[in-house]
Formats: sequence, structure tokens, C-alpha cells
Amino acid sequence: MYPSEKRSLYRFILIYLLSTLILFSAGSYLFYAFEKHHLLDRQREALKHEGERIQHQLMLLQKRFADKLPYPAKQPYESAIFDKNKDLIFSTFSLPLKINFAQEYSLRGRYLVYIKPIDPYYLGAAYLMIRIPVDQEGISSLQRMILLFMLGAGLFFVIIGYYLGRLFVAPMRESIERMNGFIQDTTHELNTPISTILTNLELMEELHKCNAPEEMQRIEIASKTLSRIYDDLTYLRLHNNYHRDVQPIDLSALIRERLLYFATAITAKRISLTETIESGVTLEIDRDDAIRLIDNLISNAIKYNHTRGLLAVALTSRELQVKDSGIGIEKKDLETIFERFKRANKSEGGFGIGLNIVSQVAQRYGFEISIDSTPNIGTEVAIQW
Amino acid sequence: MVKSILFFTFSTVLLWSTETIAPAALQEQCLQCHTTQHIPSEAIYRRYLMRYSSRETIKQKIFSYLKAPVIERSIMPPQFFKKFSIKEASSMSDEVLRRRIDDYIDYFDVSKRLFVPSGQN
Repeated sequence: MYPSEKRSLYRFILIYLLSTLILFSAGSYLFYAFEKHHLLDRQREALKHEGERIQHQLMLLQKRFADKLPYPAKQPYESAIFDKNKDLIFSTFSLPLKINFAQEYSLRGRYLVYIKPIDPYYLGAAYLMIRIPVDQEGISSLQRMILLFMLGAGLFFVIIGYYLGRLFVAPMRESIERMNGFIQDTTHELNTPISTILTNLELMEELHKCNAPEEMQRIEIASKTLSRIYDDLTYLRLHNNYHRDVQPIDLSALIRERLLYFATAITAKRISLTETIESGVTLEIDRDDAIRLIDNLISNAIKYNHTRGLLAVALTSRELQVKDSGIGIEKKDLETIFERFKRANKSEGGFGIGLNIVSQVAQRYGFEISIDSTPNIGTEVAIQW
Repeated sequence: MVKSILFFTFSTVLLWSTETIAPAALQEQCLQCHTTQHIPSEAIYRRYLMRYSSRETIKQKIFSYLKAPVIERSIMPPQFFKKFSIKEASSMSDEVLRRRIDDYIDYFDVSKRLFVPSGQN
């Protein structure tokens, strides 16, 4: 799976699952609240019946009024009677400090409390308070059921989301594959003619002392550009399974060599080059990776520079810095500039793969890239290791 | 069998011993007359309890009736006075009268009579 495809798939699944989760959580909460309410309603009803029973028994006790009056207690209910001033007459349990006589039903800790006004005041009781432990077992079983349902639904939607996601990214996969196929075919067809042009160009310069140096220079620049595009495309196509020979590279020498390679293009555009290259800087990197990194930075700095512009290449033991005085990049494009086929400015040619290759190389070796750009002032790219 | 007899005897003695006994002053100054004249003091208390519920109100209502007894202020229905004559105003001092009323209420106090039958608590 391609990284962009994977990214899109994960984003799709994440959004899909999040929205499903929110929907199901809301639904489950409503169901839970409704069922819990229903459960408590049943207990409220039971409390009401118990209240009626106790009131009836109090009436009988009032009539009897013997020396010993058996209070009509019944498990699992606990109750208490109060006089009109809300002073306790009798209780089967230790009472809470604060009792709200105005609220008919209330939840107090793990108890459902019922307050029933009594009239006439049998045995002086004006209020009857009954409480019952909330049916925790019923609520726990309801919670378990909802949790199981959520887990089951979650699993189901993960599977559905994965297959939907695959369907969702299928067109992207097809277009990436088509593009890769195209690149593969193009690079294959370009290889031989580019090599032929470059070899013969060298031969002509050395053996035949050509009388048209400017025309030759333009051919050389065009051929080298083609050659670099070929190298970049091959790199992109092969970078996943390309064998790397990571060893200490003399980066100072390599940068000087690549600047020489671009000398014709720099001269043609009358760019002033400033080299501040510390000697003897070595870096553990595959040579081809290093060339792709350097070439793309220098090539961009030339391509997007103005005629008679400035190009500064600086190398220290910690950092490579390439700075130009070119057209620059808009701030909004800076975040996505490293994406493949991203071109902030379409006035110049190219596929938008240069900075993507720079980013891939940096990512592979754990380098840090920082880019600072101002439109019409210039761009500065720094690679730190 | 022996165990059952012993248990029955023990329970009866226990119940008898916990029976509410009126304080001597109350018995002498109030209940005695009620008993001899067959005026049901318990029924009167029950009526007070059922109408006024709170101890403080009952005390206040009994006190005001005993100080100036009139049929309209009595807890008992007017028919009651066809059988029993209305009593004279109490000659006791306010303090003594209040103490007797307290004794009267304590004697019939519901919270002392109520109990949770074993096996139900």
C-alpha cells in the first residue's frame, strides 16, 4: 500500500469510526437513560405500593393503640415516620442528616427515597419516608449489555469501515499505479537517448572543438536536466527496494563536484554563486541519496531563481544550507511543499518531485529540514543532521 | 415441649414487665378521674394525635382547653358531651399543668410503643 493511500485510508477509517462512535454513543446513552429511568420507575411504583401498605397499617395501629405497636416494616424497604413539624416519630434505619420533604422521589447515594405525606395523621405521622437500595444489579447488567453491544458494533463497523475505506481509496490507488507505470515506461525509454546525447556531447567538445559554444552549452544544460529528471524518476520508482551502500561520504567534495555539474546552468542564468563550504565534512549516507538531495536543492535554487540572482551554498559539520534570491514560496504552500507532485509555482517546468525526494532522503537518515521563504525575496532550505 | 413452655413463660414475663405504667402524679391528678368516670383518656389522646400530629401543638391545644374548657375548643365531638359533662377549668398552676400534660403525652407516646417485630428488620 502506498503511503498516501495508507494515509487516506486511515483518515477515512478514523472519521468514519469517530462519527459512528459519536452516533452510537449518543444512541446508547439515550437507551441507557431510558432503561435506567424505566428501572427506577418500577422501583418508584413499588415504593408507592409500600407507602400505601404502611399507611393502611398505621391506620389499623391507630385504631388498636395497644401498649406495643408492631411497626409495619418489610424487607427490603426501610422507612420512617415524622410528625407535622418533621420531627422523627419512629424509624427502622439511621436517618440521613438532611431530608428534603418537598421532593416526592429522590436518589440519595445508593438509595431511592420516597416521601409520602399522610393525612389524617395516623399515630401522629404526617410524613412517611421509605427508601430502597437502587437496583444496582439491574443497572450493572444494563451497562454490561450496552458495553457488549458497543464492542460488537465497534468491531462490525471497523470491518465495514476497512472495506469501505479500501473502496474509497481504490481510484487513488489506480491513479498512482497509472502514474507509476507511466514513469516506469518513460524512464525506460529515456535512458538510452539521454546517455547517447551526453556521451556524444562530451566527445564533440573534446574531439571536434565545436564552433558554436553557446548552442553546445544549451544542449548540455538541457541534456543534464533531462538526465536529472531521469535519475529522480528512477529514484522515486526504486526508492523502496533500492540497495543502499551507506558509508562515510566526503560531503564537502561531493557538493563542490555537484556545483561543477551545475556550473553550466549557473553561468547560463548569470547567477552569482557564493560557496561557503567547510572542508572535510563527512556524512554516513548512500552516495546516490546524497547526490539526489544536493542536486534537487541546487537545481531548485537555479530553476526558481531570477536571471542575475544570487545562490549561496553553505556547508558546516552540522548543516547544509542552500539559499536563493528567487521567486519564493507562498506561506500557505510551505506546509505541503514536500508532498509528491506538489508545485508551488507552475511557471517553471518540472513534476513537483524535487523537494519530495529531498524530504524522503532526510526522513530516511533522520535529518531535519527547515524551509524559510518569502515571495519575490527568496528561499532558504537547511538540512541539519 | 419444655423449651416451648419456658420460651412462652419468658416472653409473657418480658411483655408484662415492659408494659407502660403511668407516672403517679398523672395517675392521681388526671387519669384517676378519667377511669372512675369512664372518660376514655386514650381515645382523647388518639384524636389529638390524629388531628394535630406534632407534640408541641398537642401540648398547646390541651393546655388551652384545660385552662378554659368549652365544647368548641374540645377535641371530642359535641355528641360526646351529651354523655359526659364538660369539665371545670383546671385549678393547677400553669407549670404543674404543663408538667402533667407532658406526662400525659409521654404516657401515650407512640414512639415508645412502636417496635419492629423480629425477623422484619
